[in-house]
Amino acid sequence: MAPPTETIRGSLLVIPALNEARSIAQVIRGVRDSGAEVDVLVIDDGSRDDTARIARESGAAVVSHPFNLGYGAALQTGYKYAVRAGYATVVQMDADGQHDPADIPRLLAPVCGGEADLVIGSRFVQASDYEMGSVRSGARRFFTFLLVLLGGPRVADPTSGLQALSRPVFRFCCSDFYPTDFPDIDVLLLLHRQGFRIHEVPVRMRPSPPERRTMHAGLRALYYPYKMLLSTFRSWLTPRASPLAD
Amino acid sequence: MNPQFDLGDLRQLYIAQPEPTSVRILALTLCTAFLVAVLVLVRRGKLREEYTPIWTSVAVATMIATVWFDVVRLLTRLVGAWTPSSTLFFFGLLFLLVVSLNYAVRLSGMSTQVKLLAQEVALLRARLAAAEARGAGPTPQLPAGSAAASRDRE
Repeated sequence: MAPPTETIRGSLLVIPALNEARSIAQVIRGVRDSGAEVDVLVIDDGSRDDTARIARESGAAVVSHPFNLGYGAALQTGYKYAVRAGYATVVQMDADGQHDPADIPRLLAPVCGGEADLVIGSRFVQASDYEMGSVRSGARRFFTFLLVLLGGPRVADPTSGLQALSRPVFRFCCSDFYPTDFPDIDVLLLLHRQGFRIHEVPVRMRPSPPERRTMHAGLRALYYPYKMLLSTFRSWLTPRASPLAD
Repeated sequence: MNPQFDLGDLRQLYIAQPEPTSVRILALTLCTAFLVAVLVLVRRGKLREEYTPIWTSVAVATMIATVWFDVVRLLTRLVGAWTPSSTLFFFGLLFLLVVSLNYAVRLSGMSTQVKLLAQEVALLRARLAAAEARGAGPTPQLPAGSAAASRDRE
């Protein structure tokens, strides 16, 4: 019997959300108002508030983790959903309202046009008024330098959560290598070494709400650089023609 | 006049010191109790058989070393320690390190399995909810109302 052929559909917007009941409706409404032709999928990563219900009532499809798995795992669940549903492209954006849905078409254009496999919405590729704390800014510069040093792509904003991915990329990211917590330069380096083309487009981002506890806050701020160094080293050691690509 | 000691002789003296019978009895008792505890945990289903070989091996090895203490003396000479107790501490710590690393590896594997299972549960629940919303069997992949689903129907 011949294997079933895949029907490739349009674009899926993946929004990982953890306790974002206050902002998720506004984010989904913003996507609708922007006119972007994307299906909206909210990954509720074990929220203790009404994030899932509000997202569903706002018209988004919702996949709820039974408990908190982490930002990277939430993204990966979205990728798996997109693979099974046959989407051609995935856009990912944060649920805190930091990203502007109006940038979605500009992110998708290079992917749909076949010019890039991964497009990063960058705060720093052009002069921007986005303010990042000195410690985070220093860390960003260091990891950007490290990425280039290890033969990775020259990317100005490797930690941006606003990205567009082609189907081969998000299919690849369904593998076990994909981190459950912080998918940053380690993933970019691995994707680059697998031959995926990575581009950046300038976007405007609003600062995160001050009351929001970011995933780099507290003790994680100490753990993050250590973990990122280790996982980047692992990506660097992964052979270019990796079986993961299957 | 200070007596002159040969350090080599002094070390041999330390190594050859007799092991008190009370310590041997205590070690044998503890090892036996440990073995019984392992068996009880297995019988109650709280410890899987696959995790027991390492603990039974350690308990039996400790019993052998207690009965034939010359084995410990030989090891002490080999590793360059001064006293048998140092040798026992050294190998004890080494064993704990290896066991900890082993469990960290097993834990990592299980964390990955739990993540995969949780993702599958979440995806299947979403699929089931979408099917129920349509009043159909659990065949559709897409949630009702999504643009792709609408395109399919058109």
